[in-house]
Amino acid sequence: MIKFFIENIAISMFIIFVGLTLYITYWASKRTKTAKSFYTAGGEITGFQNGLAISGDFMSAASFLGISGLVYLTGFDGLIYSIGFLVGWPIILLLIAEPLRNLGKYSFADVASFRLKQKPIRLLAACGSLCTVILYLIAQMVGAGKLIEILFGLPYYFAVLIVGGLMILYVTFGGMLATTWVQIIKAILLLSGATLISILVLREFDFNLDLFFIEATNIHAKGIDILAPGGLISDPISAISLGLALMFGTAGLPHILMRFFTVKDAIQARKSVVYATGFIGYFYILTFIIGFGAIILVSKNPLYLDDLGGLIGKNNMAAIHLAHAVGGEVLLGFISAVAFATILAVVSGLTLAGASAISHDLYANVFNHNKSNEKKEMQVSKIATVALGLLAIFLGIIFESQNVAFMVGLAFAIAASTNFPILLLSIYWKNLTTKGAVIGGSTGLLTAIMLVILGPVVWVDVFGNAQPIFPYKYPALFSMSVTFIGIWFFSITDKSKEANQVKSKFDAQFFRSQTGIGIDKAVKH
Amino acid sequence: MTKNNTELIYNQLSKTRSQIITSLLFITILGYFSFIGVIAFNPSLFGRMFQELNISIGIFLGFLLILLIFFVTLVYVYLANKKLQPLIEKIKND
Repeated sequence: MIKFFIENIAISMFIIFVGLTLYITYWASKRTKTAKSFYTAGGEITGFQNGLAISGDFMSAASFLGISGLVYLTGFDGLIYSIGFLVGWPIILLLIAEPLRNLGKYSFADVASFRLKQKPIRLLAACGSLCTVILYLIAQMVGAGKLIEILFGLPYYFAVLIVGGLMILYVTFGGMLATTWVQIIKAILLLSGATLISILVLREFDFNLDLFFIEATNIHAKGIDILAPGGLISDPISAISLGLALMFGTAGLPHILMRFFTVKDAIQARKSVVYATGFIGYFYILTFIIGFGAIILVSKNPLYLDDLGGLIGKNNMAAIHLAHAVGGEVLLGFISAVAFATILAVVSGLTLAGASAISHDLYANVFNHNKSNEKKEMQVSKIATVALGLLAIFLGIIFESQNVAFMVGLAFAIAASTNFPILLLSIYWKNLTTKGAVIGGSTGLLTAIMLVILGPVVWVDVFGNAQPIFPYKYPALFSMSVTFIGIWFFSITDKSKEANQVKSKFDAQFFRSQTGIGIDKAVKH
Repeated sequence: MTKNNTELIYNQLSKTRSQIITSLLFITILGYFSFIGVIAFNPSLFGRMFQELNISIGIFLGFLLILLIFFVTLVYVYLANKKLQPLIEKIKND
């Protein structure tokens, strides 16, 4: 038994993780009887727990392996992504977190439709949410399949099925409570794993950062250039556009926004952002050390290189190989299991957010307005979870050999161009009208999708055309402008009776968003 | 307390909150877009090395920016708990 454990440390760790999380799901299922507990874990998560869960929701395998791989490949450029992903958090904290908690119930569409007309706004918010969730899911599933194929030697299909199957179990039976605990455990595992690798790497240099960077620049083919901005961003427009998508996209990710309904009140909501920002910032510093560590300890070691001199399993495997280089089979096994846990936690959060958009926004408030009850709504959300899980498995298999790297970028662009502007303006801009929000938001959504399709990543890399029709990789600068101008123009020109009604409700809404008064009657947690 | 008094406190709450948010938002956006701006318009500046340290200006400032971002969230929560929350409680009690 002990021999098996040591020889198969990755699989043993993984089995322990799955066993533990399934037990938690069983425990949570007994506490998940109402729609409120299903979507929000009863609002009983503390600020600290939610901070951990948010970081578990946000630090995907793509951030861990992708950013450390990018640092390994390009050095400084990895930092551009890390900082961009992190800078979204003050935006959420300063502008969104508290009003969201004070106005909403289960999804951010609750806030957007607080005074605007329910059906069209919820329809739009659900479209924005589902686009974001599905794109993100595809990227995670394909990444998961490939990763598990390499780490555990399982066939791709099998890996995708395991991830999809477990995620369906967690979410359907354990709802938000199980998802939260899966995310908390994963965050602790990921943070301790990354810390351990970093300490072991830095120990080789007696914790002398100076020595560490000299060694990396000596070894890397680009030499000292890895300490400067490189080829990731080639022109000013791309730099600003990517910067905007990262900064405001986080504040429009439905699975992240949903986490703010799991805490008791606005005080806990703001507390959770500070913890989350601390954990995520710390984590990105670690990925930077890991990337540079891999340059030094992995890039010249034939054990980790293929026949062409590249990394076995491509650059995203840099962190995994480094774990082996500094900690042997045991650490390799641990980090592999952590990577798997990471994927499971992120896809569960995504699926739950997608299911709530389908059941709470589309089913209960658009198609079946006032006729549905809570029990029915919860049934629908469970069906939606299973459907989304199966869809994710199906899409994961279809996209196996496609380049899916652009999908997370597109998800951020859509979140920044549709979800975020609608949410922001519905909280802060008195003159916003339903017409403005719907026209501006949907044109922004379509613009983001069209520009990515016509741009270099899809038009050239996926479709194989010689020249892109739209020259830039990152659409956010343009699509966000379209959204904000559209919303502004169609709101101020909207002179209908409904528009006046919406405006007259603003002061009361703003009072509640600032103080939380009125919340107890409507959505007591 | 009178309705008038509540209104005064609410006005004070809105004013203080918008001051806190605007200044912290300004710091965040200025910090981040200066960083992005250098990458966009003058990337070679970030490649320059410090005299005594073997680290580039870009990496140093990048790490500093990560700390600044965390610091902003800390300051906000400190101010919100100290200056905003008492006002909110007062309004709630009225």
